[in-house]
Amino acid sequence: MSAGYIDELHEAFHSDLVYRSEEIPLECSPKPKEMEQTLHGVMKLNGLVIRSLEEIAGRGANAVTYRAGKKFGHEVAKYFQKREDVEGALHELSDLLRGQYSFEVWKPEDKETFIIEENGETFIYLVFHDCIVRQTLRRNGLDQGGPLCQTLFGYVVGAIEEITGRKAKLEIVHTGPNACLKKLVLK
Amino acid sequence: MEIHVDKDACVGCGLCVKDCPMHVYELQDNVSVAVRPNNCMGCLSCHEICPAQALEHRGIYAARRHYIDINVCEMLRKVV
Repeated sequence: MSAGYIDELHEAFHSDLVYRSEEIPLECSPKPKEMEQTLHGVMKLNGLVIRSLEEIAGRGANAVTYRAGKKFGHEVAKYFQKREDVEGALHELSDLLRGQYSFEVWKPEDKETFIIEENGETFIYLVFHDCIVRQTLRRNGLDQGGPLCQTLFGYVVGAIEEITGRKAKLEIVHTGPNACLKKLVLK
Repeated sequence: MEIHVDKDACVGCGLCVKDCPMHVYELQDNVSVAVRPNNCMGCLSCHEICPAQALEHRGIYAARRHYIDINVCEMLRKVV
């Protein structure tokens, strides 16, 4: 390695900035536009972790990531208002996921209400539009519905359980490039 | 939601019929027809699977796309 290159590196990481520990940064640095490469780096890293996990743990990877997501969902939702009604809980969940995921309650045209009762189970269809998991999977050429999706599932289930105090289950109905349909089963 | 199928382009393969979980499409006279457009939730799997690119959705919410590689885009802009 040449001395010139080392000097160049040192210069790149040196500034005259005075940094005091009591100064709290009030905005992100650098600007969000310049963070694009960082975002891609994070997506690549996540994809790599998930791919390796699948190789090592096989089908067990889904259970691991689901459990991790669920625990995280419980922990995050602990600080949110407790709601007994499903509508209110979904509203809280929407706030919780803001900026990362966006979803809407959906129903097929032959159903009259959003809360559907069929074959002895009560469920709600959720259509996830914006989803960082989908972005990551597509960035890395990975299939949808695998362990990374299970993390989000666990997260949603954990948060719903924490907010409503009821047991819940989420099922994948369909995954697509622009939106995914999920079924939230309430127990 | 409005779904338009280009009848001249559609090859009648039926992939959209098989793939759609909400049974939005049906094959009629070897051409795909959107018979239940209100059942469409906008996943756009049909767009991805259609070999003839014969489909068009109107009034759809396009999800954010963060996965497009900026470096690849820059290279493509130079070429195209």
